[in-house]
Amino acid sequence: MTTFRTVTIDRRRLLRSAGGLALAASLPRFAHAQNKTLIAATFPGTWNEADRDVIAPAFKQLTGAAVTQSIILGTDQVSRLIAAKGNKPPFDVAFFDAPQVIDAVREGLIVEYPIAQSPNYKDLLPTAQDKWGPKITMQVIGLGYNPDKVKTPPTSWNDLLDPKYKGRVGLTALNSQLGIAFLAEINRLKGGTDENFEPAFKFLKQLLPNVGAIGANLGAFATLWQQEQIDIAPYNFNFVQTLKAKDVPVEFTIPATGPVGWSTSLHIVAGAAEPELAVQYIDLHLAAATQEKLLKPPYDVIPTNAKVKLEGAITKSLAKSLDDVAKIRTINWEKINPQRGALIDRFNREIKL
Amino acid sequence: MAGRRRIRWEALSLKLVFGLLAAIALLFLVLPTAVVLLTSLTSSQSLRFPPPGFSLRWYVALLDADQMQRAGLNSLIVAFWTTLLSSICGTAAALAIARSRSPLMRAADLLFMSPLLLPALSFGFAALIFINRLGLSPSVPLLVLGHGIVCVPFVLRTTLASLSQLDASLLEASESLGADRLTTFRRITLPLIGPGIGAGAFLAFMASFDNVPVSLFLADERTEMLPIHLWQQIETNLDVRTAAASGAIVIATLILMLLAERFAGLTRQMH
Amino acid sequence: MEADSRLVLPLAALFTAFFVAPLVVLLLLSLHGDIAMQGWTLGNYVKFFSDPFSYSILIDTLLLGVKATLVCLLFGYPVAWLCASAGARWQSVLVFLVILPILTSVVVRTFSWIVILGRQGLLNQIVTGLGLSNEPLRLLYTEVGVVMVLAQVQMPLMVLPILTVLSKLDPNLGDASRVLGAGEWRTFFRITLPLSLPGIIAGCILTYAASITAFVTQTLIGGARLIYMPLNIYQQAVGANNWPFAAALSIIFMITVMIVVGVLGAIGRRSEIHGRA
Repeated sequence: MTTFRTVTIDRRRLLRSAGGLALAASLPRFAHAQNKTLIAATFPGTWNEADRDVIAPAFKQLTGAAVTQSIILGTDQVSRLIAAKGNKPPFDVAFFDAPQVIDAVREGLIVEYPIAQSPNYKDLLPTAQDKWGPKITMQVIGLGYNPDKVKTPPTSWNDLLDPKYKGRVGLTALNSQLGIAFLAEINRLKGGTDENFEPAFKFLKQLLPNVGAIGANLGAFATLWQQEQIDIAPYNFNFVQTLKAKDVPVEFTIPATGPVGWSTSLHIVAGAAEPELAVQYIDLHLAAATQEKLLKPPYDVIPTNAKVKLEGAITKSLAKSLDDVAKIRTINWEKINPQRGALIDRFNREIKL
Repeated sequence: MAGRRRIRWEALSLKLVFGLLAAIALLFLVLPTAVVLLTSLTSSQSLRFPPPGFSLRWYVALLDADQMQRAGLNSLIVAFWTTLLSSICGTAAALAIARSRSPLMRAADLLFMSPLLLPALSFGFAALIFINRLGLSPSVPLLVLGHGIVCVPFVLRTTLASLSQLDASLLEASESLGADRLTTFRRITLPLIGPGIGAGAFLAFMASFDNVPVSLFLADERTEMLPIHLWQQIETNLDVRTAAASGAIVIATLILMLLAERFAGLTRQMH
Repeated sequence: MEADSRLVLPLAALFTAFFVAPLVVLLLLSLHGDIAMQGWTLGNYVKFFSDPFSYSILIDTLLLGVKATLVCLLFGYPVAWLCASAGARWQSVLVFLVILPILTSVVVRTFSWIVILGRQGLLNQIVTGLGLSNEPLRLLYTEVGVVMVLAQVQMPLMVLPILTVLSKLDPNLGDASRVLGAGEWRTFFRITLPLSLPGIIAGCILTYAASITAFVTQTLIGGARLIYMPLNIYQQAVGANNWPFAAALSIIFMITVMIVVGVLGAIGRRSEIHGRA
């Protein structure tokens, strides 16, 4: 039994690598850069695996250069780049969620993306094009629920207030993107503005009797699901897919008010040691062939290339077509970023049992 | 007669109270590790307690986990050099501090303790800015220095505690018998404070091996550290191999302790 | 004397180069409004001291450390005592049990605490099973839970220093006291406890410092709902990207704790001298 399992794991990995090679064969060739190494940041988890198993072999085939992955969260990337200012940056390619892009531009940590050198850029959805660096996917939040406990799928954020979920609702702290995005969406729906978060906090206070746990981070959050300490919570589409693949009882649904989320994008770091390779590496993420590969499990990455045909888990709960992806509501980070400290403070003060 | 009975009752009550407290403490010491060990034997896809079934698959998967193995090796190397550095510098400083009553030494003592009090996240960030201002980049030697700063207090405190028991007259006697300082240190001081240094070195090793915040800033891009890797694996997919890795560490420590016991037993017999 | 003092130099050099310098960086950062460090300001300190919520967090954190340390001492001392009085073989077994918590990575341990302390967790199953309580106890996300877990995790820091001191105590002293007719408790409080004070102080200082800065344990058991200084600093630094304010918080925190530990150390030294006299 055990050997059988190991074999499947190996085969899966082999298939992924083979997929990467096949992918490379289908792409135009760049000048070979033997013996060079690009250092690229990537997120822990699915993206680390996708970059290692799909992108890196294709990149090697394409350019002859190797990729060293620096597995690190977006906020930590910003901290490290700030600390390294005026010196050689620790990596060439930055991997950010939308709020970090604004911080990075303000601090001068990234340079404008050379669109002319990136053949696949023009195929991106207009909403995914950005002069500071292309958006390679969307992260979408909705309601996660335990299908063993919650028989009728929730349809609205207001369902969280239902007394039958007393002590069963989970929340995450505002230092996560998930927490802030949830707060912003609730605020919008309850009539608040980017300057006035009163309605969101009013909702949270109403919600308190139902809240069983506030996860300090996503690891604790995942454990709370697995150990069935919470049954329903705002959650992220991709996290739910990963947990589902691991037999954790969790389903994802989008409230009737529609999907809301933020983009994830790639950027060339100011002072990068290998700027040309960095463009080629980023461009590889944009190609329709790559995005089609990453759309499949175990990655389930929401594509941004207009030529990709949607399929799989995404079409079930999230978007029927790329038009729907383009319509995913985003959050005004320009307005929210400067208030994050104050919002976190307020959350800490007011949202206590 | 009544007095003797009272003493016997007292002796019993002391043992009873201490034994009870110790028993509760030991139960709580063991419980979380027992949960981790049981979980590591699960047959399910992700961390789950109680396990729906048992299997050794995650320990087998550990043999295949090159990323985790590499991270483990990095952490071992860094912890080894950190322990060496903090044991030598810490013990030397403890000797100086223990024998001096000058206020300067008191201040030095407080300074050497302060890395424990400064949140390590802030220390890591500031150290990275400082390194960059010097024109250097994060590297393994700098990481060892950073860990050393955070781990020295453990050696310093435990060694100072055992030094405070050292009878000054013993040292004077040794020196009056013509032994030089080095001989006195090697033959008298070191054997007496050895357990203190050993306890501190162990704590320093584990503090380095399990450090997240300093490594987050001072490890270079190619050097992934085990606790950070474990953190990411749990955070993103409740990876059972994290529990198996902990199981492997517990078992390895047990074997090392048994070997040490055997070895110590042998040396005891040789005397 | 001269030669002895020089032994402090290697560590002093290491600290000057690698601790004092970063500390100065942190101090400079805290005196500026942004990370680019242009324009001096005391704004970050004013912000802290003009806000009662800020110091309530600081005080909560300092008190948390006291509670965790006391619980740890109450249970840790008997464990060390048991270790010291056990035979060589049992002593190894006990020491192994004591160091178990730090052998498991802090991240993985968190998982098991949720399993143990959760609403349907092991502890609650025992408590409700024995009929001690009808309602499941709230342990996760409460200060009681945080104190319990901190005391457990820091146990090796308390037990090992006490054990090194206890195992070197002269057993004749206790015997002499007993021969003179003193009871066990009296002997313990008059002889054993004062003589083991250096170990207790070392253990308390380590436990206290480790408890108040134990970011991972505090946040994972306390959730995001119980706020202590390390989480506050983390949220300002990483969550809000406000490093200057986080730097100011760190410095205020460190100085406050240094005062507490300094006072503790001074009391310790005084009682040590008294104990010897």
